[in-house]
Amino acid sequence: MSVQKTSPAVGDGWQRGGAQAVRRRVVERLVSVLCYVATMVVLFLLFSILWTLVVRGGAGLSLSTFIHSTAAPGSGGGLANAIMGSCEQTGLAALIGTPVGMMIGIYLSEFDQDGRIVSLVRFVSDMLLSVPSILVGLFIYLIVVEPAGHFSGMAGTLALAVLFVPIVVRTTEDMLRLVPRAMREAAYALGAPGWRVILSICLRSARGGIMTGVLLALARISGETAPLLFTSLGNLNWSTSLNEPMASLPVTIYQYAGSAYDDWVRLAWTGALLITVAVLATNIVARWWLMRNGSAQQ
Amino acid sequence: MNKIIMDDSMVGNTAVSALAISNLDFWYGTNHALKNISLDFPLRQVTGMIGPSGCGKSTLLRVLNRMYDLYPGQRATGQVLFDGRNILSPGVDVNVLRSRIGMVFQKPTPFPMSIYDNIAFGVHLHERISRADLDQRVESVLRRVALWNEVKDRLNTSAAALSGGQQQRLCIARTIATRPEVILLDEPTSALDPISTARIEELLDELKQEFSIAIVTHNLQQAARCADRVAFFYMGELVEVDTADRMFTAPQAKRTQDYITGRFG
Repeated sequence: MSVQKTSPAVGDGWQRGGAQAVRRRVVERLVSVLCYVATMVVLFLLFSILWTLVVRGGAGLSLSTFIHSTAAPGSGGGLANAIMGSCEQTGLAALIGTPVGMMIGIYLSEFDQDGRIVSLVRFVSDMLLSVPSILVGLFIYLIVVEPAGHFSGMAGTLALAVLFVPIVVRTTEDMLRLVPRAMREAAYALGAPGWRVILSICLRSARGGIMTGVLLALARISGETAPLLFTSLGNLNWSTSLNEPMASLPVTIYQYAGSAYDDWVRLAWTGALLITVAVLATNIVARWWLMRNGSAQQ
Repeated sequence: MNKIIMDDSMVGNTAVSALAISNLDFWYGTNHALKNISLDFPLRQVTGMIGPSGCGKSTLLRVLNRMYDLYPGQRATGQVLFDGRNILSPGVDVNVLRSRIGMVFQKPTPFPMSIYDNIAFGVHLHERISRADLDQRVESVLRRVALWNEVKDRLNTSAAALSGGQQQRLCIARTIATRPEVILLDEPTSALDPISTARIEELLDELKQEFSIAIVTHNLQQAARCADRVAFFYMGELVEVDTADRMFTAPQAKRTQDYITGRFG
């Protein structure tokens, strides 16, 4: 208090912390480097996969890939039936799964918050998110394929829809929960009945996120193979009938990639490239959508 | 000590009441948040409600349009007389009630839609209205809140792009577009800058020509500036209600005195 024996020189305050501060700087640098290396490893793997796909799959890519159906080894042929089958089954699955998933999500988020049924439904839906997809295929096999006596595109569609729904349920519920309470109250305060508040205000406010969920679900099911093996089986010929076995890209890849014929293997690579590009494009659109809508909220 | 001090000449003889609360109690679950409140809101006047945080003033506001109905576990007993009916009784259509008793919240809450649709939303809920009439309604309410000149060229753009003060005026416009008789404002300027606040206070002066207004505020100057009558709440009780002039110059109750002189709160 009384005398300042050694008054510190100007600037000495910056030495505060001593060895501890030095250690902090070293640790910080170390962690940064580790994160950087880990990122590079993953990026390298990702791009080497993409590169292999582009080189190998691109080699077999031609107009005939899109206009010819799969054919016997050595006689050319393309993937038209598989592309059509994939589009038809995933598209229909999305058409069925989106409204069903959204309605369940709305129910979970808006009604009877802590009720028994709500927690049961939420539990089952979360289970379905992580259930192995081959089980879904077996399930549809048992309830659709076996009674009907034959494989069908409809069975494949249903299997994909079962995988589709829980993803949409989860995103719908999460996005609706993000809608501020104040916004709901403001709508109620104008005399809006509950259903109008949900449809016109909450869903509208959450639509960007829900749309993103739908696109991500679409990307997820468009690569599914296992549930289709027991349901739509695959079809060597062009067929758009939901009542018959239906080809799809993942199943065709599965069957052709392991075959002994060079041209079939090449087609499998091409199919893999097509799926990857489609999934990548869907993901990019989903992200773009989320960003655009996210910024509009501000 | 719980006696409510009221000047009979002010309360009994004022013109007709827009809303008359008597013996109102309110519970959040087991928490007794409002205790035996009796208070009149005179027609076409601004009634300010002040008091420290948690004193029940916002709760009271949320009783008046039955907003508490949204939450299980919240309940009110007593009587709130509005247009000849007790609005707490079960037979009241809350959607109609809320169209007649509008509410503006603390934070501006524009809906995720265009400026025009923000106003049209509430109107469509209660009226079948032609496009031309709706256009006219939108213009007139936006003029009313002095927003028309700022937004007339971008009515179809997102309301989220407006500034906070503009958004709040839009929310007021949206509320008066459903032609309510009473407007409840819950700290409407606490999230706004001083200039936006001043504009909203001016607006209140204009709006009371037509509407009866109840405003909750933390800002005592605001209560003094805007309100004709002021009610002071403390711990769920109505301590005192009087004209704004007398409330801030000669409060009767000790607790009111302490609060307005900044001793607590």
